[in-house]
Amino acid sequence: MLQSTDTLIPAFQAAAAAKEGPDIQYFWGGVWTLESVWAGALIPLDDLIPAEERAHYINNFERTFEGKQYGIGWYLSGNPFVYNPKLFEQAGLSVTDLPDTWDELKAACTKLNEAGIIPIAGGLKDGWFGGWLFSIIGRQPHDSEKAFMEASVGQSKFTDPQFAEWWSRLKELIDAGCWNKDINSLDYQQGQDLFVQGKAAMIFGNDTFLKGWADVIGWDQIGVMPVPKYGSGKLADTYVVTAQGWGITSWSKYPKQAADFLMFMHTPERLNAWFQYTGVFPADDRLDTSLITIPQLKQIFEWDTTRSGPNLENFIPSMLDEQSNFAGVQLLFAGEKTPEELAQMAEEVIAKWREQNPDAVKNFELWLK
Amino acid sequence: MKRSMQKKIEPFIYLTPALLVFIFIFGYPLARLAMMSFQRPSQGQQVFVGLTNYKSVFSDSVFMTAVKNNAMLLICVPIMVVIALILAVFLFERIRGWQFYRTTLFLPYLLPITVVGLVFSYIFQLSGVLNEFLAFIGLEQFGLDWLGSPRYALYTLMFVVIWKEVGFGVVLFLARLMSVEEELFDAAKIDGANWWQLQWYITVPQLATVIEFFTVVSVITMLSWVFNYVYVMTAGGPGNSTMVTELYIYLTGFRYNQMNIASAVAVLLLLVTGVLIFLELRLRERSEPMQVLG
Repeated sequence: MLQSTDTLIPAFQAAAAAKEGPDIQYFWGGVWTLESVWAGALIPLDDLIPAEERAHYINNFERTFEGKQYGIGWYLSGNPFVYNPKLFEQAGLSVTDLPDTWDELKAACTKLNEAGIIPIAGGLKDGWFGGWLFSIIGRQPHDSEKAFMEASVGQSKFTDPQFAEWWSRLKELIDAGCWNKDINSLDYQQGQDLFVQGKAAMIFGNDTFLKGWADVIGWDQIGVMPVPKYGSGKLADTYVVTAQGWGITSWSKYPKQAADFLMFMHTPERLNAWFQYTGVFPADDRLDTSLITIPQLKQIFEWDTTRSGPNLENFIPSMLDEQSNFAGVQLLFAGEKTPEELAQMAEEVIAKWREQNPDAVKNFELWLK
Repeated sequence: MKRSMQKKIEPFIYLTPALLVFIFIFGYPLARLAMMSFQRPSQGQQVFVGLTNYKSVFSDSVFMTAVKNNAMLLICVPIMVVIALILAVFLFERIRGWQFYRTTLFLPYLLPITVVGLVFSYIFQLSGVLNEFLAFIGLEQFGLDWLGSPRYALYTLMFVVIWKEVGFGVVLFLARLMSVEEELFDAAKIDGANWWQLQWYITVPQLATVIEFFTVVSVITMLSWVFNYVYVMTAGGPGNSTMVTELYIYLTGFRYNQMNIASAVAVLLLLVTGVLIFLELRLRERSEPMQVLG
């Protein structure tokens, strides 16, 4: 049965409390998996899945804690910057010389606005897109996701310039008229529809959606590009990608069989079939790449394998994501808070998290090592 | 003596199975909830931390915003009472098409909140139906970002809650009015009472107990039954401007994985709601003898 995130997570937490339920559970990466590890709900897979097999799985680091691997990836979910070539041409923008820098992006927004086209589509009402913007834009001054983990445990501050800058950079895009004006009253799906309907020229998308979009508007109206840069950290050159995956529960009576099933799902037949049916890349380097015929998807797979970087939302406490990124981005777009105030708000939220979760802080510190 | 003792005990023996079920279904979770509110996880164990969770909660600005918003929602209650009262009186006077209006007014109350929330979400978008209509009739300047602005989102939400919940009050009031003896109104009319005097001296006093009931139920609704509206229409945003205690409990427990803090807030909410339920019961007790006398 298809379940929403808000159903799946509470359902698993109830199962974990009762120590009864599924043998295999679906998880997002990073903290979304490790919180269940820390709660004793997942077992390490090192003895169940051979190291040479696990070596083929992509993004294992997201599920590794104190040297043990507590889950494996199933499919990849990355965040390309997607544009509509036809709308770019309509606005007089080049599709061979795409915006590389923040200034070029703002200039492109101006041109698109002059042509009566919404430059970038988004929807913030349900909050999630605020987290995406944090991960996509906030990464650029940093070299590693560990910087955010360090700030979370109090080794640095979210008011420090390299953490605060992204709020200002996002504000620059708002001031440049880059976004749909109704962004705060639309949820992400509705914002996305503006791109699919051909009303918006760009979107911070997700590569798992691309095939679905192409089924509606055709691949000729979908182009992918790296996010234009403002920062010079190593993460600025990376492509945000996470592996959505599985873990085996600590109460499972059949962990060996569960592990065998997970390995079965990573056999070449399954990997290839998965890609052919969904257009989404499995989290495994054994995918038959000759099956990737769409140029846009080829490009993304190249980014996945040559310049992948972490999704930062997976490396911060979810309270920070919700109360700072989700809420803060909404307040920035509403014009109710300044970038400086939002950086301060982030620091206050993380201080509260540390006060309320001394155990989780210790786990984050161990994870950092 | 023995026989009278047996008679006294007998009802309790019959009640025991139901009582055990009640304790199991309500008592155990409540006790567990209260216990969790005084604990925190430490190295895989739940340890007693006294009032620490409660202190944390009261120093959390998001929680205080949620409490403030719940308090703001209480403004809906008198508005609902007045609107329901006026509509019930008009329906009672059997204005033309009153049966149609009665059904129409009650219909929103029957609709699922998720459906109502989704429909109003579309209506109140910045580029939604309402603003398009305002632009169409030349009143574009009155078009606001009803749900997207932290300044207006809570008021928009309050409007939807009132729209949906007021029908319950109308039906309650109307049902009570229909059981009032018509002689009371006839006698007042013979004595020369005008329309306002009829309402003020007969309708309102006759409805007093129902108004009290509707008020208390509505207060409980505003404090602990608005999750669905908020979850569907605003998710607590923008920027926590529509955060309410129920959503705070949900997010804290299931998104932030802090069941102990969520339990502390749930206990607080339960206490406040419990006081209101107690108040309602007392009001009923007080009004029952009056009804008999009346």
